[in-house]
Formats: sequence, C-alpha cells, structure tokens
Amino acid sequence: MKYIKEHIMFIFPMLAILLGIESSMVFDRMSRDYEKDLKADYSMLVLANTPMKLSGFQQLDRRISSMSRIEKRTIVQEMAQGMSGISAEDIMQALPHFYTIHFGRYLDVQEIDKIKHALVASEGIEKVETFGKSHNSSYHLFIFIKVVLWTFVGFMTFTSLFLVIKQMEIWQFSHRERMQVMEIFGASTMLRSGILFKRAMIDALIATVLTSGLFAFLRFVWIKQSHIDLLMQKEALLFAYEDIAILGGIAMSIVITSVIIVVIGSKERKL
Amino acid sequence: MANIISASHLTLGYGNNDADIIKNANFKIKKGDFVFITGPSGSGKSTLLRSFYGQLRPKSGNLLVGAQDMGKISKKKLQELRTHFGIIFQDYKLINEWSVAKNVVLPLVIAGYNADVQETQAKRLLKHVKLSEHADRLPLELSGGEQQRIGVARALAKNPTLILADEPTGNLDEYSSNVIWDLMENANEQLDATVVVVTHRIPNIFSIPYRHLIIENKGIYEVH
Repeated sequence: MKYIKEHIMFIFPMLAILLGIESSMVFDRMSRDYEKDLKADYSMLVLANTPMKLSGFQQLDRRISSMSRIEKRTIVQEMAQGMSGISAEDIMQALPHFYTIHFGRYLDVQEIDKIKHALVASEGIEKVETFGKSHNSSYHLFIFIKVVLWTFVGFMTFTSLFLVIKQMEIWQFSHRERMQVMEIFGASTMLRSGILFKRAMIDALIATVLTSGLFAFLRFVWIKQSHIDLLMQKEALLFAYEDIAILGGIAMSIVITSVIIVVIGSKERKL
Repeated sequence: MANIISASHLTLGYGNNDADIIKNANFKIKKGDFVFITGPSGSGKSTLLRSFYGQLRPKSGNLLVGAQDMGKISKKKLQELRTHFGIIFQDYKLINEWSVAKNVVLPLVIAGYNADVQETQAKRLLKHVKLSEHADRLPLELSGGEQQRIGVARALAKNPTLILADEPTGNLDEYSSNVIWDLMENANEQLDATVVVVTHRIPNIFSIPYRHLIIENKGIYEVH
C-alpha cells in the first residue's frame, strides 16, 4: 500500500504537468488551424497597369507568398457583345491587369494596411482592394486565450515540479542508507542514484501513457460518440502520435532534472 | 615497507567551533600491518576511522592515505580511492532489500564487473565465510554473526589493499567474534591487505603479529 501511495504521489503531479502541456499543444494546433483557415480566406485584389510577376510583388513585400492572374477575356467578350463599335480587344487593352495575392501567414489589420500602402505606392499599381472577413477580434481572443493557457500551464508545471522534487526527496530519504553504503564503497553519483532514476522513469512512463491514452480516447472514441460536427471535423487536432514522444521526452527531462537537483543537493552523512 | 596511512600533527573534529576529538596526532601504518586502535568510549576511535575513508576531513595537520592528502582530496579521487578499501561496520550496513549474494558483490557492482564475474565471486566469497546456503536470502533473515560475515565478505570482494573495521565484533557473541577475527587474520596473511580495526577490546586469542595504537586524551600512542 505504501509502495502504491509513493508512486501515486509522484504520478499525480507528473500527470498535472503532462495534461497541461498536452492541452496547450491541442490548443496550439487549433489556433494554428484557425490561422490557416483565416489565411486561406484572405486575399487582396490588385489592379496593375503593367503585367506583374510574383517576384515583383515579393520585392514590394516579402509576406506575399503567391499570386494568381484573374482571367478577364471571358468577361470582356460578354461585355463586347452588348456594345457596338467596340471590339473585345479594345476593351482588353483598356482594362488593367487583375491579380489576387495571398500571404504566407495570417496578418492583422495593421499589417494588411502597411502592405496595401506599399503596393499602392508602387509605380504600375493602380488600385488595391482587400477582401475577406475581418477576423481580427476573434484572432486576438485566440491569442489571449493561448497566453492565459500557457501562463496557467507554466504555473501548474512549476508547482507540480516542486511536488515531484519533494516526492523524490522522500524516496531519497527512504533509500538514504543504501545510497550512503554505496557511496562509502566508492559508487558514483549516477550509480547510487540509480534507484531514484529507475523509479521516477517508470512513473514518468506511466504518466505519459495515461495522458496519451486519455487524449487518444478523446480523439478516437469520445468524439465519434459525441456527434458534435465541429469536433468530428477537427478530431486530428485533439491527438497526434508524435505527442507521445513529446510528452515522454518532457517527462524524462523533468525526471532527470529532478533527480539531479535532489542528488546534488544532498551531502554525505556519517554512517 | 611503504606507509599506507601517515598522519602528522593531525587534528580532527566535527566543526570548526566544536572541541577537537583528536589533537596533534602523529603515527604511521605500513602496508601489510594489522593494527588495533583502542580507547575508551567517545575517545574518537570511529572518528579517526572515518577520516581514513574520507568522511571527515582533518581540521589541521596532514593525513595521507594511499599517498592521497585527505585534506585536499577531490570528490572524484576520493571515490576512486574508496574502491580500494574494504570497510566493515559494527552494525553491518548491509542493503536489506538485496540478497546476501548481491550484498557481497557490491564493490564489484560498483566497479562495473559483469554478472558472470559477480556470480562466480559471490559463490567464492560466500563459501569463504561459510554462508553458501544463504546466497538467495535477505540479510535480515540471518543472525547478527552471519550478517557480519556478509559484511566481511563484502569487504574482501575486490581484494582491498586496506581493510577498515569499526568495532566488527561489537554486537556479536564469542563464537561469531572468533569467526570474524579468523577471517580478518586470513585477509591480512593471505591477501596481504593492511587491516585497521577499531575496537574497545583486543581478542584474547590472536595468532598473527599486530600493532596496537591507543587513543588517550585526544592523542594517539603506540603500545609496545
């Protein structure tokens, strides 16, 4: 019973850290996905007097990632049919060149304005129109929630780390005599702390499996039963297989750091 | 013979402000010596022994153990030096969660010997201390005398150059004490190990030549 209790006292704070980190990763993925949607939604219409290339736009602003020319011939031909004495070719020559441009990442209103001004100021560009919904306020809300979440996770990690170290000190106390005997016989710090590393690594592994298992359950079982369309469409964001490696890596780093802190902090006592 | 321990003007104590326990002591222990250190309770016998394995640094004076200055020795060097020692404690200091066999080969585990060597040595050592049939048992399942034999076997595991024993028979009956003394005599004679034993009483029957240092009034003197 004591053995199980000792492990639970270690696994719980580790779980708190890993759940916090996994939640943050999920939220991060969601906000990146949202940004992707916003970015895809967003474009600018540019009217230019002379034909333009992507490199020409990128010289004006590096944030421009792609462009496409709007084919005007079909519209012009329809327009020419309704007008007498003017050929489609004349209209084509009179009209400027139309381009839509896209960006490498989601940009806020200020950045869009800057690009717009840079484009308009350029010789050969007649007009710039911006389209797309204004997601600025919801985007800022997203950023705000992200900052709050990371702050909370940071605080929780710090507190849990303290509990992890305390538990490790309890383990060290219960194994003190064994570690001291080994020290007297010339064992290195790593060798005599092996028991702490072993125990902590097993518990870190358990915490990793539990956290990954919970989020995998949410993705593969719970979401399907929830019938919430929005979540069902975005189920991949809830859990990714590489999360197991990330959580495992973080758990092991915490364990190794904690053992080192505890071992370095302890002094040889007389037997 | 070369000195294995050499003290000059050695002063020992637990804190700079606390009273000295050993003061201005001068003595030498040569390789191959069997030395008893005696003295009344609280005279500093165990403290002196601790300074030999580096658990206590000299307050002043010099203490050389195996050519290492124990006042200046680094942690790494001390760790290395200790692997050449066999240390025996009055209360055995065995690892109670480990089997008798694993306890015996602790110095070999520390030195990184493989499992086969450890197993062979465990068999040899347990046969030597007549505990072969208890190899897989836990130390607490054995009597005090048997536990101390495990302690002696552990001390002999890596053919130490120096064996330090702190009241090795302090908790034992006469029969068990005699077994321990026999084992220590053998270690001195057959392994050529230097043996330093802190005890409150030198055994009546002792078949090999030995030296006797006594601690009195914080000083260390040789009894001839």
